[in-house]
Amino acid sequence: MSMFDGFKFRKVSSPIHRLDPRVKFLYVCVTFTVAVLFIQLIPLLLLFLIQLPMILAARVQREWMRSMKGSAFFAALIFVMNALSLYFYGSFDSVFSVIERSLAVTVRFLVLIASFSVFFLTTSPDHLGLALEQSGIPYDVCFAFTTAVRFVPVLAEEAQTIIDAQRARGLELEKGNFMSRVRKYIPILIPLIVSAIRRSLELAEAMESRAWGANPKRTSLYVLKIGRGDYYLLAASILMLAISLYVWFYVPVPSLS
Amino acid sequence: MEIIKTENLTYTYPIGEKPAFSNVSITINKGEFVLLTGPSGCGKTTLCRCFNGLIPHFYNGTLEGKITVAGMDVTEHPIHEFAQHVGLVFQNPENQLFALSVEKDVAFALENLGLPREEIRRRVDWALEVTGITDLKDRAPYELSGGQQQRVAIASVLAMKPDVIVLDEPTSFLDPLSAKKIFDVIGGLNRGLGITIILVEHRLDLAARYADRIIVMDEGKIILDGKPREVFSSEEARLVGVGIPRATRLYQVLKGMGLDLGGVPITSEEASKMVREVLTRRAPSKNPLGRREAGTQVLPAGKAGSKTVIEVEDVYYTYPNGVEALRGVSLRVREGEFVAIMGQNGAGKTTLVKHFNGLLKPTRGRVLIDGVETRGVSVARLARKVGFVFQNPDHQLFCETVEKEVAFALKNFGFDEETTRKRVDWALNILDLTEYRDVSPFMLSGGERKRVALASVLAWDPEVLILDEPTIGQDYRQKERLMNFIMQLNAQGKTVIIVTHDVEFVAECKPRVILMAEGKILADGDPHKVLTDLNLLERASLTPPEASQILEGLKDVGLDGEAIDVYEVSRLIMERFKSASGVENP
Repeated sequence: MSMFDGFKFRKVSSPIHRLDPRVKFLYVCVTFTVAVLFIQLIPLLLLFLIQLPMILAARVQREWMRSMKGSAFFAALIFVMNALSLYFYGSFDSVFSVIERSLAVTVRFLVLIASFSVFFLTTSPDHLGLALEQSGIPYDVCFAFTTAVRFVPVLAEEAQTIIDAQRARGLELEKGNFMSRVRKYIPILIPLIVSAIRRSLELAEAMESRAWGANPKRTSLYVLKIGRGDYYLLAASILMLAISLYVWFYVPVPSLS
Repeated sequence: MEIIKTENLTYTYPIGEKPAFSNVSITINKGEFVLLTGPSGCGKTTLCRCFNGLIPHFYNGTLEGKITVAGMDVTEHPIHEFAQHVGLVFQNPENQLFALSVEKDVAFALENLGLPREEIRRRVDWALEVTGITDLKDRAPYELSGGQQQRVAIASVLAMKPDVIVLDEPTSFLDPLSAKKIFDVIGGLNRGLGITIILVEHRLDLAARYADRIIVMDEGKIILDGKPREVFSSEEARLVGVGIPRATRLYQVLKGMGLDLGGVPITSEEASKMVREVLTRRAPSKNPLGRREAGTQVLPAGKAGSKTVIEVEDVYYTYPNGVEALRGVSLRVREGEFVAIMGQNGAGKTTLVKHFNGLLKPTRGRVLIDGVETRGVSVARLARKVGFVFQNPDHQLFCETVEKEVAFALKNFGFDEETTRKRVDWALNILDLTEYRDVSPFMLSGGERKRVALASVLAWDPEVLILDEPTIGQDYRQKERLMNFIMQLNAQGKTVIIVTHDVEFVAECKPRVILMAEGKILADGDPHKVLTDLNLLERASLTPPEASQILEGLKDVGLDGEAIDVYEVSRLIMERFKSASGVENP
């Protein structure tokens, strides 16, 4: 299980999945900005709690929990590193406030992971590509993007097969010092690169055979339409940003200690 | 009406020294179903690339002679103009689907052409319907089985409403049942919609029945071109090593034994019918012989010793992503045995054999190699005993020369230089690779690369040799050669395990067959028993060997038995023929 499991798109039908990726992305950016704006625990905790209804509405809580669990180690690391450095080099007067600040930084990290995770869990790469296309980005670039996404799992699987094939020929990756271990990756990298090149040629051939570049004005089977839900999310995002900025400028944020 | 016409066409790749094919003159008419075959490297794929302009526009190189497709000179129009007339479907389904949903993939070409959205929608739905994959339209192509992916690829070119569809070995990666479904779809496109089909294929047993015409190429030249029956019964076809259908082969064998069927059958149904006619005409059955064991005369595969080399006890294996690949597998392989593990893709075959050299360790249960439990033993140590040749040689070749490639494992295992040299010489020699010793493995052909991969494992002389799908992408000759090689190794006492869904190959080698489905063993035993059990085969998504299908069609005249290859079937027929004639004229 890894942190990245929580970023793989799952096909579920939910109001969140149907949202326009552009609006969702805006929402993630707002969350990101707000998280960076504050360093205090209370607003960050609030921000974290705001993510939860969206996760439940998208019915991806299980995958989302997985990404949370996966990032637990990094979260703990961030907490400990912050606590130690603040304790020894910071200008805090009590242990409690050191802990509060370190927790705040940790929650900020979790907020970022959580919101990105929701975004990727609920946005199909196809829609993402479409969003790019309709934002005026050249189709070549969008196509390169969706193809890359499409081939990540394929290449990962291929890398595993190559590792297995070389281990079956007595290659021991885990043995030896650092330099010799690096060298041991050559028998894996070369076949992987060669096969990626071969694959890209075959892909290019298949693209050409399917009228790639025939018409400068390409049609798209799907079109993204901004719906009512999108307006709600848009409004919510703007509201959230406005409130945060107001608080940031005019309201002293209370601290627990 | 002609749709493709070439005159003295000759083509040389930019890096090639000699032409990939030369002086090819053919005319393909609208509505024809053409089967293009010939040994690997004969130039058939290259020729297909000319049909939609990939050659010369994508590949460059030098093209001489004339080629017109749908009335257009190929050299004068860009590829995308031909795309609407000629659809190409390639061998590897994985590398021709780009989108993240089936529907979007089928729409890809139409989007490129810039058709109106409603028209795209209509054509996509139509293409999905015709290829029978409407229910898959929202799925991601990479989640689908190879057979389904290949149908998506067909749908995606069909959506352009082309005049011609060219398919380059579309079933090499598929199990027999999926292959049959693909051929049915293609046959339907030809008959139902009048689309011209050019099918490049080695699996002639299944494909021949649909074809109107067969073109055989060898060494860059067209050597035969005609009706299937004429081509298959010609001497040249046999000499070039075209894998003629079993039904036709049976006709030849029977003829050699003195029984003339009076016509050349291509399909198993035809063969059954002809044999039935000959038997009932010449000798009406008065005394059915009943069920006979044809397998008794066949030499038992290998000389299995009493020592158990591999022992699998109630093994379960679950992948980290939660897929339960093995669910309670137990088996025992004795020294010197020859075993085929069969079943459709995803049945757990490869997962099982990866336990034999410790690449995978059971989630539950245990695996013993030579009496030692694999848990806690490194792959490198187990690999000394159990050599594993992976399906795709490109997944392991990386050295500058073939010699280094073969020596790689020996170095890993710590052989001294003297022994390494001797072993490399030996391995290169028995696989007929000595002349390529200093050549880069990347410069070799597919079949040769496969041999290098095999040599690189055989070099350390493991007790057990595992071959994962050794016949995929191999032509008839290469398969025949591989079969002889395996049989020879096995006769010398090596334990050989092959993982395959190639029923015909197994029917000819006759190893012990372990049939798997859904992570469990369905059957384990004599190939004559397993490969003739229709119920079992269906559950494993396999088809019975052609030869036993012929025999199956003769049940009504009392011919019945567990024969799986052409020779066994012909023997049964001859016995029956003689005994029946004997009754008539004592």
